[in-house]
Amino acid sequence: MFKKIINICLIFIVTTIIGVVTIGASESNHVKDYLNYLTDHEINQLEQTIDTIRDEYSLDVVIVIVDDTEGKSSMDFADDYYDYNGYGIGEDYSGLLMLINMDQREVWISTTGRAIDIFTDSRISNMVNNIVGPLSEGRYYEASYSFLSDTKSYAKQGVPRNQYRVDGVNEIQNNTAVYVKPTYFQKVMSLIQFFPIYIVAFVISVVTTVLLSLSRKGKITINRQTYEKNNSFRLSEVTDRYIRQTTTRTKIHRNSGGGSGGSSVHTGSSGRSHGGGGGRF
Amino acid sequence: MSVIKEYKCSNCGAGLEFDPPSGHWKCNYCLSQFTKEQVGSDSPSEESLEKQMEELTSYTCTSCGAELIADGTTSATFCLYCRNHTIIKTRFSGKFKPRGVIPFRLTKNEVKEIYKKWINKRIFAPNEFKQKEEIDKITGIYAPFWLFDCNSEGAIIGEGLRVSTWTQGDYQYTNTKYYEIIRRGSTKYQKVPVDASKKLDDKFMHMIEPYKYDDLTDFSMKYMAGFMAEKYDVESTEAETVMKERVEKYIEDRLRDTVNGYNSYIIKNKHISLSNISNEYSMLPIYLLNNKYKGKDHIFIVNGQTGKVVGDTPTSHLKQLAFAGCIFVLVWIVSVFGGAFFV
Repeated sequence: MFKKIINICLIFIVTTIIGVVTIGASESNHVKDYLNYLTDHEINQLEQTIDTIRDEYSLDVVIVIVDDTEGKSSMDFADDYYDYNGYGIGEDYSGLLMLINMDQREVWISTTGRAIDIFTDSRISNMVNNIVGPLSEGRYYEASYSFLSDTKSYAKQGVPRNQYRVDGVNEIQNNTAVYVKPTYFQKVMSLIQFFPIYIVAFVISVVTTVLLSLSRKGKITINRQTYEKNNSFRLSEVTDRYIRQTTTRTKIHRNSGGGSGGSSVHTGSSGRSHGGGGGRF
Repeated sequence: MSVIKEYKCSNCGAGLEFDPPSGHWKCNYCLSQFTKEQVGSDSPSEESLEKQMEELTSYTCTSCGAELIADGTTSATFCLYCRNHTIIKTRFSGKFKPRGVIPFRLTKNEVKEIYKKWINKRIFAPNEFKQKEEIDKITGIYAPFWLFDCNSEGAIIGEGLRVSTWTQGDYQYTNTKYYEIIRRGSTKYQKVPVDASKKLDDKFMHMIEPYKYDDLTDFSMKYMAGFMAEKYDVESTEAETVMKERVEKYIEDRLRDTVNGYNSYIIKNKHISLSNISNEYSMLPIYLLNNKYKGKDHIFIVNGQTGKVVGDTPTSHLKQLAFAGCIFVLVWIVSVFGGAFFV
């Protein structure tokens, strides 16, 4: 028991030291290129862009390039890297992280906080598509640059109107993304543009009209017992004989993704919620 | 002897008519009332109806002497000139002598009110149709019916399924148990009515059922006074096939009702037989209004005993469209302005 605790303590100390050393070794805070694919100049350029995104949209942005994910999946590694290295802006640690996993040749974008709502599944898949091309050709700077410019443009657009995870309206005031609780008028305006309401109203109106039109003649109100002589019904045979049985099984298809307007969310090892998506190159 | 019959007031000589609320005969001129016996006392016995009388093509109104030409099946009618009621005895005689009758319970005025209420509820009927002053054409008619009694025996053989589902791991399991189910039984049916007039639409006549048979009494021509009547032109054998179809379905459904506790039950085989079939020719009361609109007949029928209404009106597509539009807008407003409180 005592040995176990010592072991855990040792592991903790060692990982902390390694962590401190690696952070120290890397000059940049938001571009973590463990494989030195990017030149210092390129890292600087990316850092500058990240800083403007942080300032303008209050979203943290991290780029990580590794070839060892400690046995974790790209998703888990990206989530943990973001959570345990203190990234994120604001109470909900808003921001996003792009992991380029050279071991699996995978790219993964992990979103946290407000970024989950802005970067819906369909937006992330667009971003991944834009990144995968340059990555497969080894153009890491271009891939990172494409990631940042997409991030910027989606952050500017804000939360999509049909996004169903949030109840706030994203507005940009003085070049800063602010969360504003929508007014009643804004809610009405957004519902007016909500197409399913029109379909539901149409279906209800057609169904009621048809039902009312059908019931106009009259109903048959007699039944099988109307003309039956009282107590004259006699059952002379009642047989319920078991014959055979069959059992079939079907695989359950668990729906794994959200639609165009949604962001699918999972919980990382730290307990925080993350969104995201990825692809191979 | 005369082939037409009219019941006259012993006080003033005007025609008597049956009065549904009191169940007596009333003179509309001197307002005298007579019981069935009193009306009967000054008319010859009806025994002569047992014998088939010779059919004539025209009749003379006993009141004004005008010549009446009645439709082939019309058995009681009114004189076109003096509105005096006339009963054509030949058409209640011999094989056309009814066994029973259910007298009218509703007066014409009550039915007019029923019609007004009913037509106001027909929201898709064109206004033009609604506003037609046809209401006075509502006529009380004794409609000919065959009332069938029979015994029925039946068996149904089928397959019942009990289905249960559960999930285990990534799979959904479905277990189906198959049972052979047999039900055999018998029952008696009494007074199943079948419309015996071709003039009247079978579908509508079926819908004004049921009649309460407590009021069914022996036939007397006296009840016809003041109403129209039709004689049958659907033979009992023809009506019997209609009755059989209905009764076979009744017993099948009745047996099926006793099959419980299965997710589904399909009848694969059935044997149904009817026996001791007998019929009674009877007159049952209806009020009828035949409304012509743009060349099409639209029927309104009220059960003259219970007041049950069936009928048919033309449909204004414009009104349907307007109604659908209103509902659409209403639902839309409620969901947008009401829904905004909840999103």
